[in-house]
Amino acid sequence: MANTSELAIRTRNVGMIYNPGLFARRKVALRDLNLEVPRGSIFGYLGQNGAGKTTTIKILAGLQFATSGQAWIFGLDTRDSRARRALGFMPENPYFYEYLTAEEMLDFYGKLSGMDRPTRRKCAGALLSQFGLAHARHVPMREYSKGMRQRLGLAQAIMHKPPLVVLDEPMSGLDPLGRRDVRNVILSLRDAGQTVFFSTHILSDVEDICDRVCVLNQGRAVAEGPIGSLLTGKVIEVALSASGIPAEGVPELKPLAVRTWHDGVLYHVLVDSEAKAQTAKGLLERAGGTLRSMQPHTESMEEYFVRVTGAAGAGAGDSFGSGPAETAQTPQETEVRA
Amino acid sequence: MIVAAIALNTFREAVRDKILYVLLAFGTLMILVSRAIGWVSFGGEDKIMTDIGLTAIWMFSGMVSIFVGTGLIYKEIDKRTIYTILAKPAERWHFLLGKYLGLALTTLVNLLVLAAIFVGYLWLCRAPVTLALGEALWLTFVEMLVVTAVAIFFSSASTPILSAIFTTIVFFAGQLTKWVVDLGAVLKDSHPWAGKVLYALYLVFPNLHNFNIRREAVLATQDRLQMAIPANELVACTVYGLAYTAALLLAAHLVFRRRNF
Repeated sequence: MANTSELAIRTRNVGMIYNPGLFARRKVALRDLNLEVPRGSIFGYLGQNGAGKTTTIKILAGLQFATSGQAWIFGLDTRDSRARRALGFMPENPYFYEYLTAEEMLDFYGKLSGMDRPTRRKCAGALLSQFGLAHARHVPMREYSKGMRQRLGLAQAIMHKPPLVVLDEPMSGLDPLGRRDVRNVILSLRDAGQTVFFSTHILSDVEDICDRVCVLNQGRAVAEGPIGSLLTGKVIEVALSASGIPAEGVPELKPLAVRTWHDGVLYHVLVDSEAKAQTAKGLLERAGGTLRSMQPHTESMEEYFVRVTGAAGAGAGDSFGSGPAETAQTPQETEVRA
Repeated sequence: MIVAAIALNTFREAVRDKILYVLLAFGTLMILVSRAIGWVSFGGEDKIMTDIGLTAIWMFSGMVSIFVGTGLIYKEIDKRTIYTILAKPAERWHFLLGKYLGLALTTLVNLLVLAAIFVGYLWLCRAPVTLALGEALWLTFVEMLVVTAVAIFFSSASTPILSAIFTTIVFFAGQLTKWVVDLGAVLKDSHPWAGKVLYALYLVFPNLHNFNIRREAVLATQDRLQMAIPANELVACTVYGLAYTAALLLAAHLVFRRRNF
């Protein structure tokens, strides 16, 4: 366990059960969650829809109360309002008062964060420029697009320069340029010494910018650690391509390969280990072919995610889309009768 | 500062909502037609004008408290604007109190605008403007503080429609508490249980009848400084209203403080 003073977030055996009424159906959203997020890191929080990511974030933001266990922000219980002084929070698909302009909105949130008027004005102006919203500073929020709201949501979260920024799906609904901007903001926050904890469905972003990740499955943390330790660089597939092979292929390769196919010019072979790749190479050359490429493929974040969550089945297709990932959960595990 | 920020934002929300202006327009219309109703009545034009004017102010202030107040908390939850507020270093009671004070300020401004129109119209029509009117308007405002707290209480626990229904029931039932206790006293001997139930209702519902001194204000027209009720009664009613409001806000806080969003 890391030194607790070095942790921005710490949870101990956090559990969350919804509707724990006498006759109501209960849903277990989180169970025995233990998290440690070091200061100054970018922490990616992954999981299928319904895995418990938003519940965790709401507990950290003081919006929900864990039914068991405890959570701390910089050593302060998340139920203590002082913990939220250190927190900047953006919910998923942030909603704001439709009748406020961007400038009024940032001023309002600045007041709630205890900022004085000159600082509020200065920060609001700088953030609106930084997020490309200066031209719309006097426009009511009802006229804002989803992307503009998302950027404004991020602006209100970081306005008071909190040491910890918690973002729920910050890339959701953004175009590639918007995503790039959010990624850059997250990186700049880390460069300024702030800690960023965010949930996302976009695994390439996690690979690009996160120092550590936690994968949540059915309310349990199934993997946690630095990206480098999770993605070991082990070769999981090798793709070979050879020319000079007839269209019917090399029959000896069929039992060895995961897949073979001919595109009219090149003959392609996919095998699942480096040893098999060497054998396949020999067989191709023996059949009169010329090896054109041999590309090893290491495990990506997405493949790692699918492996640890066991999401390769029916739920996997939905887990990064809009479908109900709850289908991956067994009824016995997610719902119990009181 | 947090409470003030939330209160001012709530006030801003209300004044940018069309419903406030619709209610103000109808209130103004009712005040203006009061003279015409006085003309078609037998004598006492000034009294009828004063009576209708005070009633219009009471009724439309009540509507503002009920229709704006009952949606206040629910709307924040439904539109998820509450997420970004409660994630700031704000206590939950800051939020509730801020919403309440914002609505109370809206009610005050609404009442002051209608009162200014009413008094100006009385002056134009050369009808007497007395201190008693000030007393009646003050107690109307105290009554609205209570009604607003009722609206916030229900809004913190249920949907806008249910909150509006419950608050309207309390608003009208509160006017009848005097008759409820009188009826309870009559039934005490013949039906002891009915008497107890009625007395319990009298204790639970706010005694809004206390704040209704409109009839006394209408009759107090002999002297500009004549009071509708003595000052000590005015203070007692005010203290009762504030105490009831505090109790309701405390109850709303107890409902709200452990709620998950």
